[in-house]
Amino acid sequence: MLNYNSILKDEINHNGLSIKEISPIMKLNLRGKKREFFTSVGKNLNMILPTEANTSSSSDKLTSIWLSPDEWMIFSNEGVQKDSNIYELEEKLYNSISKTNLGAVTDVTDQLVLLELKGENIFELFASGSPFNFNEFKDKKGSTTQTLLNNIDVIIHHKDQNLVNLFVRRSFSEHLCSWINDSASRL
Amino acid sequence: MFVINCPYCGERDQQEFKAGGEAHIERPKQPTELSDDEWAEYLFMRKNIKGVQFERWNHAHGCRKWFNMVRDTSNDEIKLVYKMGEKPPLE
Repeated sequence: MLNYNSILKDEINHNGLSIKEISPIMKLNLRGKKREFFTSVGKNLNMILPTEANTSSSSDKLTSIWLSPDEWMIFSNEGVQKDSNIYELEEKLYNSISKTNLGAVTDVTDQLVLLELKGENIFELFASGSPFNFNEFKDKKGSTTQTLLNNIDVIIHHKDQNLVNLFVRRSFSEHLCSWINDSASRL
Repeated sequence: MFVINCPYCGERDQQEFKAGGEAHIERPKQPTELSDDEWAEYLFMRKNIKGVQFERWNHAHGCRKWFNMVRDTSNDEIKLVYKMGEKPPLE
């Protein structure tokens, strides 16, 4: 990961809800349709990409999120080194997928910011700014969605009970955080 | 506001979608052989019906996939949603 400033100086804490940035986390975007693509990804990651819409799958080190029928995002569960932008896994995937024209591997580590939301009223916060219906989402661990939050594109991953990962583009992250700060204070 | 059933993601709010105009317009096989009027007809002229219309939509803030929709433009009732490449239903 490149040497960016943290978008959140301090953790946001309001009404039992806490929001902090998790960094540095490796994030890769995978695209492909062919059967060989799936076998190659499976071999390299030691996990199967989720094919059902709005779901995710996890291993010890990685989590993969369904984004569209031919697009996934994988991210590391734990922090990676901060001083370099080269990842062994990306190289492996790039050589076996991009170079052989099975699909595309893109490093989106610096493009997206990962925010971790903790608390009982996460979904009340989302309801105040998102058109998405979270009724089924909040009962199902591992569910994911791409939607709008305060008119900003976000990827939401239900990691555990009262624990949600939220990915947002870096350029929008400060704006989103100030909205979260304001909105959470009124819950 | 209305709910659209994305063929890939399920039911989502209209806010997440972008309309992409009339569907099933075929590009002429030999554009060089067309007159200017015929080319303009293909390029610009759209039916814009009041009633049942075939449209393209994009789930812009979700899976970013294009799909087709049969919609009644007079009351926004969605008759059918189907994937790109699938044959349009006969009315």
